[in-house]
Amino acid sequence: MDQIVNDFTINIATANGTGSQSANLILLQTLFDMGIPVSGKNLFPSNISGLPTWYIVRLSDAGYQAPGERTHIQVLVNPATWDDDLASLEPGSTVIWNTDSKMEMTREDVISYPVPMTKIARTLNPKLARMIANVVYVGVIAELIGMDHVVLENAISGQFSGKQKAIELNSQAAILGREYAAENFDSCQYQSVAREKVEGGFFIEGNEAVALGSIFGGVQMLAWYPITPSSGIPEAIIDWIPKLRQKEGKATYAIIQAEDELAAAGMVLGAGWAGARGMTATSGPGISLMQEFIGLAYFAEIPTVFWDVNRVGPSTGLPTRTQQSDLAMLYEGSHGDTQHIVFIPGTVEECFEYGWKIFDAAERFQSPVFGFSDLDLGMNRWPCQGFEYPDQDMDRGKVLLTKEQMDAIDNYGRYRDVDGDGIPYRTLPGSGLDPILYRGTGHDEDGTYSENPDVYHKLMGRLKRKIEGARTYLPAPVIRQEEDCDIGIVFYGSIENTIAEIDDMLELATGQMVSTCRVRALPLHSDVMDFVARHKTVIVLEANRDGQLFGIMRKEYPYKLIGHMHSAAFSDGMPPRAKSFVDKILEVFEEVGL
Amino acid sequence: MSEKPVRAIKLNVINEPKDSYTGGKSSLCPGCGHDQISSVIVNAAWENGLEPHRIAKMSGIGCSSKTPAYYLNKSHGFNTVHGRMPSVTTGANVVNKDLTYLGVSGDGDSASIGIGQLIHAIRRNVNMVYVLENNGVYGLTKGQYSATADIGSKKKKGTTNETQPIDLCALAVNLGCSFVARSFSGSKKQLTAIIKAALSHKGFALIDVVSPCVTFNNNDESLRSYGYVKDHQAELHSVGYIPHFSPLEQVEVPAGSYRDITLHDGSTMRLETISDEHDVSDAVAALAALHKAESEQKHVMGLLYFNGDKPSLDEDLDLHHTAITELGQDDLRPSRETLAKVIDSLRN
Repeated sequence: MDQIVNDFTINIATANGTGSQSANLILLQTLFDMGIPVSGKNLFPSNISGLPTWYIVRLSDAGYQAPGERTHIQVLVNPATWDDDLASLEPGSTVIWNTDSKMEMTREDVISYPVPMTKIARTLNPKLARMIANVVYVGVIAELIGMDHVVLENAISGQFSGKQKAIELNSQAAILGREYAAENFDSCQYQSVAREKVEGGFFIEGNEAVALGSIFGGVQMLAWYPITPSSGIPEAIIDWIPKLRQKEGKATYAIIQAEDELAAAGMVLGAGWAGARGMTATSGPGISLMQEFIGLAYFAEIPTVFWDVNRVGPSTGLPTRTQQSDLAMLYEGSHGDTQHIVFIPGTVEECFEYGWKIFDAAERFQSPVFGFSDLDLGMNRWPCQGFEYPDQDMDRGKVLLTKEQMDAIDNYGRYRDVDGDGIPYRTLPGSGLDPILYRGTGHDEDGTYSENPDVYHKLMGRLKRKIEGARTYLPAPVIRQEEDCDIGIVFYGSIENTIAEIDDMLELATGQMVSTCRVRALPLHSDVMDFVARHKTVIVLEANRDGQLFGIMRKEYPYKLIGHMHSAAFSDGMPPRAKSFVDKILEVFEEVGL
Repeated sequence: MSEKPVRAIKLNVINEPKDSYTGGKSSLCPGCGHDQISSVIVNAAWENGLEPHRIAKMSGIGCSSKTPAYYLNKSHGFNTVHGRMPSVTTGANVVNKDLTYLGVSGDGDSASIGIGQLIHAIRRNVNMVYVLENNGVYGLTKGQYSATADIGSKKKKGTTNETQPIDLCALAVNLGCSFVARSFSGSKKQLTAIIKAALSHKGFALIDVVSPCVTFNNNDESLRSYGYVKDHQAELHSVGYIPHFSPLEQVEVPAGSYRDITLHDGSTMRLETISDEHDVSDAVAALAALHKAESEQKHVMGLLYFNGDKPSLDEDLDLHHTAITELGQDDLRPSRETLAKVIDSLRN
């Protein structure tokens, strides 16, 4: 049997609320600290305790971050999914299973490693046996695939940081797991081998990176309503901000847990109206509820920041699964003609960067601005080398602060386009400078109520022009151009973590090289259109059903480019897997005769 | 400079004429109760000597919510969306706690679509005045009943309302609202005193003002018509207001018994007792007065409940004494070294 090194997937099936998450993170951290490219995906239910949970750990020397196509090592702890998990395995897979689960090993074509996990755990502490049993399987895996024990011990210490008793108990459990495996089993086909670790790396969730970015972006007001998978953003802000942003022991920020998403949005508008940097974080259902305020912020031109961590819709959908299906709603949110700026990070580094940049954009364009993340990026741990400190000062936009500034403008009006860029100047409440009554009703350049057709038509034209101006201001796409290449792939967001594997798989299957273009903001940068023009066949990858970015491109791009573009949209709620998209791309190839 | 102008314009304590507090021309129906309230707001702000540019006038949607255009032209304002003025005001309030927030709303805004936001603004004790212009009817959409319409109330055309009304004062008392009053748009003196006192209060002040709709709800069957309210209002007390800049001893002491309530800025609200003594710190007494009036088909007027000790939201948040909007990059963006430390802590 050939040894397979650092290129296999472990799937751990447990029940929610049994403490398996800590054990799985220890496993992930240990492999990461051994310098092995590794990714972890938590597939959890919308439930506190008892429902099935899977954790997928993928080792990949190629650096692939998406969950793989098949499971190589299956850990079975949960009787509820036992039969299905077992049935889904390919022959020859390795199965580590808890003999205390009162379940049977019903397959003879797998390599079976029975372990009395609960009994072993009970020898350490009968009361906590169920919880400790999770670390027993970590010990068994560690022994079988040859994980470094010192590194494992460090990961346990890190996980239970400061809780000496927990560290000791879990260390012992890991050792007992190792010992059991060493005594009872032959070596395993799958092996982990330490690599040279790039120093300074750490794991972080996208949500925490957004939170830190927001704090360095000078967030002054956070209003939020709890919703999976976005709560991690406000919770990380609440955790970090007292340490980072107090002045003389007092808060330089206000945080309010609102009564609902409507109120959260209203508070963000109130803060923006008053001249502060207000933000909220929510998911699709929350954005649906905020639509009315989003329209008001657009029409009254109030700087506001909304983070949407996409989960699976429509409706309540699959609250703990991932998707890219809110994009169209963000781009044209609220009734009437609207168009909004959307930042689309694809990495945790960009989560931090856009976390602060988004406030500059909101104040520069005096409009609602969205950050668009998803559950996969937001709630899973991603390797990170660090964050770049903001390379520019906070841009507070066109705010008149003094009488002199005001007097320098001829015929000032809140909504008058002085500079020709569609962005007017504003004054702040309390400043004593030219006040207006902000309104969601039609208004002229001075902000006075108007139903005049010309006034309305001109206003809507200016708003359009204003947001159009953002195209070149926003992050340009990341383009990897192949020479003499006719085929281009356009994608965005967390598909970044699957694209390398898609690319390799495609080359292997067809011999075709493709250029790639990762969109990082809406409205689309002109480089994206140039990319489409350069490639005869452009395929837009996205994790949704209908091809939402594809729809935006088709609507905005000239007729002669329409024929270039094809959609490869796929979503089953799982983190994007390479094969699902490669299959879609091959369909397009067939269609166009490639 | 020392010469006084020939035609003396009456100035307030900060040397502002009343013109500094007025607004645009009203587009409401002639005789609308709301216009009377607007003129009371102009008077109250002027008499209290508030700086016009330090007032923020907030509203939702409806006839009442249009009125910020008709007063305080020198103040910034926000005519927001239907029923959502409390949340917008909350967000503005916490980032700039130093402004005076004056919200105006109607019964459609407050008792129906926005009742949740009203409740939570009260619960948080947002430091704001909330003037509820209550006429029991949707005016802008031409005369539908609102959730405060009384049982038996009859529209000019159409059916009698059979649905139980919501008494927002009773609701507010139950929620622990720190200042709850009811008044009538036609009782200019009392309403002025109450609004002036509310402007001096730190915390959420709800003033439910019965404000007849001359177009859709001023027929005799309506409990919110001018005629009906004039004949059926029970005053708890007459209300006087003595601003902090007028020494108490100079104020004429009214006959009969009275109670003084000291407000946040040192001003005094003087309650002259009409009937049995009403203890404004007693929530049960407030509810009893409301229920008694309801059973007698009357409107009880005056300050119903007051608690000057409840911390307001901005106090709960332990904010820096400088308004957050006044802070610059030095205070809002942690240093490069701080980011390095954060990253270090993530590595370990």
